[in-house]
Amino acid sequence: MMRANENETLKAPFSPAAQQAGKVCQGTRASSHAALIILVLVLLTFSFPLNAQTKVTLSSAPGGVVLGGTNTAATAGFGTVNALAIGTPTAGLTVIALNNGALYFTPYNLTIQLNGNNSHTATVTALITTNFTHPAALVLESCPNNLSCNGAGQYSALSTVTPTTVASVVGEVTVTAGLGIFVPDNDGAGAFTGSDSARITLTMIDNNSGKTATATIDVSVTSLQTSVQLTLGTAPGGLTISPAADYSANFGNVNGLGIGPGAGLSTLSVAGGSVYHTPYLLNPVFSDFSSTTATLKVSVSTNFAHPAILALEDASSSGGPYSVIPNSPTTLTITTTAANRGSITRHLGLFVSNVNGPAAFTGSDSATLTFTMTVP
Amino acid sequence: MKKYSIVILALMAFTTAAFAGTQATNTNTVSPTLQISANVQKAIRLTLSTGTAATPHCTVTATGGTPDYTMSFGTVDALAINAPTCGSVFAPAVPGVDSAIYWSDYNLTPMFTGQSTTNNTITAQVTTNFTAADISVVRDTANSSTVPTAANQFSAVGTGSADTIVTNGANGTAVTRFIGVAVAPTNGAGTLTGAQTATVTFTLTVN
Repeated sequence: MMRANENETLKAPFSPAAQQAGKVCQGTRASSHAALIILVLVLLTFSFPLNAQTKVTLSSAPGGVVLGGTNTAATAGFGTVNALAIGTPTAGLTVIALNNGALYFTPYNLTIQLNGNNSHTATVTALITTNFTHPAALVLESCPNNLSCNGAGQYSALSTVTPTTVASVVGEVTVTAGLGIFVPDNDGAGAFTGSDSARITLTMIDNNSGKTATATIDVSVTSLQTSVQLTLGTAPGGLTISPAADYSANFGNVNGLGIGPGAGLSTLSVAGGSVYHTPYLLNPVFSDFSSTTATLKVSVSTNFAHPAILALEDASSSGGPYSVIPNSPTTLTITTTAANRGSITRHLGLFVSNVNGPAAFTGSDSATLTFTMTVP
Repeated sequence: MKKYSIVILALMAFTTAAFAGTQATNTNTVSPTLQISANVQKAIRLTLSTGTAATPHCTVTATGGTPDYTMSFGTVDALAINAPTCGSVFAPAVPGVDSAIYWSDYNLTPMFTGQSTTNNTITAQVTTNFTAADISVVRDTANSSTVPTAANQFSAVGTGSADTIVTNGANGTAVTRFIGVAVAPTNGAGTLTGAQTATVTFTLTVN
């Protein structure tokens, strides 16, 4: 049996039948070193998929804010916001009114690449690397991918110091997390209106290999606006204040003797007639004002058709004294020290004259009060 | 073009946005409205109270239920032997023939609103009489606030029809009248002793 030439490279035949008679190996002109290099390259090529890498990228989630920038340096515009959740938010944002501010939020996608290792686990954390210039007025919040991220309780404030977990995944996957801005009630010296921006850095770590990757989201607010809200409500035991345009209250059947007040009403006998009265609530809310107090005034903007028979009155306590609410533009000041979210119980009186004779009136009548809250 | 864009953006930034009347942004004032409605009805009231004339009174007590008021003359007799528990008593002019009158003043206060007139009357009628035949409800015949001075100034309150006791009383002003029981000196069948009650219905009408 002849040995193959030492310059011949060992090469497995494609088919034994194809071998030349008497030769175990087939000789070639290629050197053994070159063949080894080719083999290594082939092995490398087939061992790792093309573009395999450790990476986290960002993209818009369906129904969420359209992210700008790149997939590793994204931008998210929150547009115009306010602490009372008034108005329609920027497309893709959801806003929830809270009892101490408003939360604007959006879903977004994170795509995790683990160098092709689908058995690896990874964690993505977020850290505020550049905070808003006015962090008391705008608070960055995050919701992790394992929650639905559609409720305020699922969001927590991001930190400039301690990373917050945004996603925990197994293998290469795209997940959805939530990005939010909490706009708190913020009156007084720290009040702020205007634009602001911040940057969040997302860091992904392959928990098996220890490799990391980062991406950033630049979050911007075009305009944080002042906001005011004054609502009326039914006081415990009082006459029902119903939502209308804007509110309505029906005193029902009344008479000059104060006989038979309806539910929620009490009566006082006064000179010339009776006063039907009820407690009601004034709920002032305002944010991003330098003042921490507001002034509430009231006036009769549309008077009764029979003002000699019916008149609206105001008092701070149920027993009075009741003051006649003047016709607009004259106003009656209820308070100059209304606090944000400080509900005020006030008493609304309806004077009913006991007049008889030609001046007497029976039947339905209505009037409209206009309450004005001004934050100086 | 660039200038126009800047102007538009500036306008947007300073625009006040109002949402309903209860809230607004980019402003410092908001003015919600409250519509008040009511249906004014006629009302009428007649109250009784303890008298205030210059004579002893029997207390008129409001029960809050039915009957609306009560007044008790206590123990009475046809010879006026029992001193009046309250109020006064006129002894019979002819004992054994005439009745003794135990009586008291009381007040009637008419009130009414939303009426097209102030003309009014107050009537009284015994709607539930005493069971006994020897006692009856009487009133001052004169229908005045003058304190009676004799038994013959009283007459029986109607049982089959109402007696007008006040005409055009002032709205909201108490009117003094006098009411009592006449105890007849009867004996034999129909004569009862013991507690007796009767009910008088007062009616205020404005027309």
